[in-house]
Amino acid sequence: MAERHGPVVGVTGSSGYLGKALVTHLRDADFEVVEYRRKVDDELDLRDARYFDLSRASDAEIFRGVTCLIHAAWDLRETDPVRAWERNVDGSKQLLEAAATAGIERVIFVSSMSAYFGTKQDYGLMKLAIERAVLEANQLVVRPGLVYGGKPGGMAQTLLKLSSLPVIPIFRGAQLFTLHIDDFVAAVTTLVEAENIPSAVIGLAHETPTPFREIMLAMAPPDRKSRITLTIPWHLVLGLLRALEYLNVPLSVRSDSLLGLVRPAIVVPGRNLAECLGLSLRNFAL
Amino acid sequence: MKVLIIGAGPAAAGVALALTKYSDTTVQVLDIGGRLEPENDEARARMSHATPEDWAVDDLRTISLTAVASEQHRIPEKRNFGSDFAFRNFGQLDGLSSDGGVNSRVISGAYGGFSNTWGAQAMVFSNATFDDWPFPRSDLESDYRAILDTIPYSGEEDDLAEYFPLWGTADPLPPLSEGPARVLSGYERHRLRVRRQGVLLGKARLAFKGRDCVSCGLCMTGCPYSFVYSSSQTLDDLVRQKRIDYRGGLIALHLGEDDGRPFVAARSIATGDVETFHADKVFVASGALGTTRLVAQSLGLWSRRIHMKESAQFLMPLLALKGIKDLSQKGTFTLNQFNVVLPFDESGHDIVQIHGYPFNAEMVDALPAFLALPAFRGLGAMLLRRLTVGLGYLPSWWSPGFDVSVERPVSEGQLAGMALFTSTDDGSLARRNLRAVTRKLVMVAPSLGLIPVVSQIALSAPGKSYHFGGSFPHSRTPKQSEQTDLVGRLHPWRNIHLADASVFPTVPATTFTLSIMANAHRIARSVVEDDHG
Repeated sequence: MAERHGPVVGVTGSSGYLGKALVTHLRDADFEVVEYRRKVDDELDLRDARYFDLSRASDAEIFRGVTCLIHAAWDLRETDPVRAWERNVDGSKQLLEAAATAGIERVIFVSSMSAYFGTKQDYGLMKLAIERAVLEANQLVVRPGLVYGGKPGGMAQTLLKLSSLPVIPIFRGAQLFTLHIDDFVAAVTTLVEAENIPSAVIGLAHETPTPFREIMLAMAPPDRKSRITLTIPWHLVLGLLRALEYLNVPLSVRSDSLLGLVRPAIVVPGRNLAECLGLSLRNFAL
Repeated sequence: MKVLIIGAGPAAAGVALALTKYSDTTVQVLDIGGRLEPENDEARARMSHATPEDWAVDDLRTISLTAVASEQHRIPEKRNFGSDFAFRNFGQLDGLSSDGGVNSRVISGAYGGFSNTWGAQAMVFSNATFDDWPFPRSDLESDYRAILDTIPYSGEEDDLAEYFPLWGTADPLPPLSEGPARVLSGYERHRLRVRRQGVLLGKARLAFKGRDCVSCGLCMTGCPYSFVYSSSQTLDDLVRQKRIDYRGGLIALHLGEDDGRPFVAARSIATGDVETFHADKVFVASGALGTTRLVAQSLGLWSRRIHMKESAQFLMPLLALKGIKDLSQKGTFTLNQFNVVLPFDESGHDIVQIHGYPFNAEMVDALPAFLALPAFRGLGAMLLRRLTVGLGYLPSWWSPGFDVSVERPVSEGQLAGMALFTSTDDGSLARRNLRAVTRKLVMVAPSLGLIPVVSQIALSAPGKSYHFGGSFPHSRTPKQSEQTDLVGRLHPWRNIHLADASVFPTVPATTFTLSIMANAHRIARSVVEDDHG
């Protein structure tokens, strides 16, 4: 491996929305980056990408040479709660153990603003369980809000689709903490480089939540002349989605995701630390 | 350096383990030293050399006497190898009185103290517990690990590690009983549904040799093979290795320092003579109340109302939807088998914990008397097949605790009088939070197949949890004669260190003894390291 001066950063979930943006940003900033993903081109140098699957036990050997690990992988394919837990939570805990065995100095777990104490969302509960393990290992957790910008993925992509409908659904009172993708990669890069950060949960989002209606209208295609919105009782939609899930009807939006929209966190945690680190997190604007 | 340790319970073992790592330190333990009756000990010894199939019926009967109902309290008092020696008055309870239903059998005179009869649960305190302490958990981690490396330890990595890391190397637990295994399986299947209500489950973490366990089911009345840890085992080992000098039969009456050199005046139980011992350092490890009385008697803190922080205990019977097949304690271990953890905040500071006990013979005696009548025996058996006894704990900041007051002894050479009475806290916070706990458990009952018997849930009497302390809590800026510094020193003493739960700033609802040992180890380690420069 070539002589290096900064941390060697491993990124799991590097083919996802956040992971991909992080890898690009870190490489542009001259970091040596190792991607961890399920599909690895045989011709790729092991210095650039290594095989990793959350559902399989992690071996400390795959982290050879890595000094900082950003864990952004999440497997959304599994809808069965028991298997989803095994894959994501147990898989992440094994990953943490392997990282500790490999002597990785800093782990940054990319959690979610859906993970807050008292959440009823499965996704948030699973993220929260991993957060606990990360904190017990004296490492860092970041909770990005709704990430937008660039080529959106995840929830932003879903909302983009919904905002393209002839009638845009709105849920009364819903509001979300948001984060621009550029602020996300800049903030995580700061955490990679910073020294002596205490183990903590840092919310990565602007402190003021944005009303759901405002987000949807901003995301709607600009060529659409009429932007008709319809306020829908979320309980009704939730019940409908659950019924369809029970009947194994394939859906682009899950009931659990809807819960994340209508029952979000009420505060952004770790704001003092974010301020101390000089993290800049803009208000929502497209 | 010459060191005296007063007491032989878990705190004393923690101190001794830290001190005996240094060859230039001589350690003498002064203790009351109450022992198991010879005939019971002989029966236990015979059984320890045989397999359960070869045990003599008389020996088994002698050592397996179950808990004895107490008129004063709902939870019966445990027996150990058929004896009450862990609770009996060897002189240490003289002058002690209680009012308002406060448990009065709160100072053990036994060699090994209450660790002779404890539940053997061993978990570290949550990180957030130390938000109220003057040092972080990381200051205690090496001490926790040192203790866990020494004592037998069984447990497994599961969801509980999110708050209570499984440090050290643990034996796997022996196979669980049918009931607890079914509860944990329900949790595995419905984990997210259960956690949505703020409830987590995991297997017990126990200070016992799970790998060697023969599943004879006698844990609750005393393991004939000594697989369940008692601090007497540590002290026995150190005596055998000639690392400590043990002096039993002594009741410490007075502590002091002559020009900084500490001394202990102790009365011989056999002769009544008072002997004075001198050393370079003294560690007081007589149990939170024994230490409190000794300190108050030595410093003349007469009639001062001292508050004891207690993690209040509650009894929560739980009935399974499906009964177990075999109503027997044989073929399993009867210690706590699973834990229910209820965090009430994100950091893990406000946590309630319930230990789930499978069927054991003590439950038969605890049933209402009418269920022993022939007409109702079937009903009694049906209940027992479904019964799990939950013993729960609330953190001390939600619990009323109790107060103590120490009075001048009637004559020299006597222990000071000590009165225990209820605190000014009326317990409304504890009851309110217990209702919140119950509500959560009712919500998860269908998922776990375990229903709390709401009408039978009750807080135990003050002092009954045996998880109390905090009479002289650690502080970075200690108040004179009220608080101790980080190595347990109370003004004006410089070389006398309190080392048991009397120095705990709070008592969380987590298992208690391991943290007593770890903190005692930390105190002694810090003192010796400081002495060695």
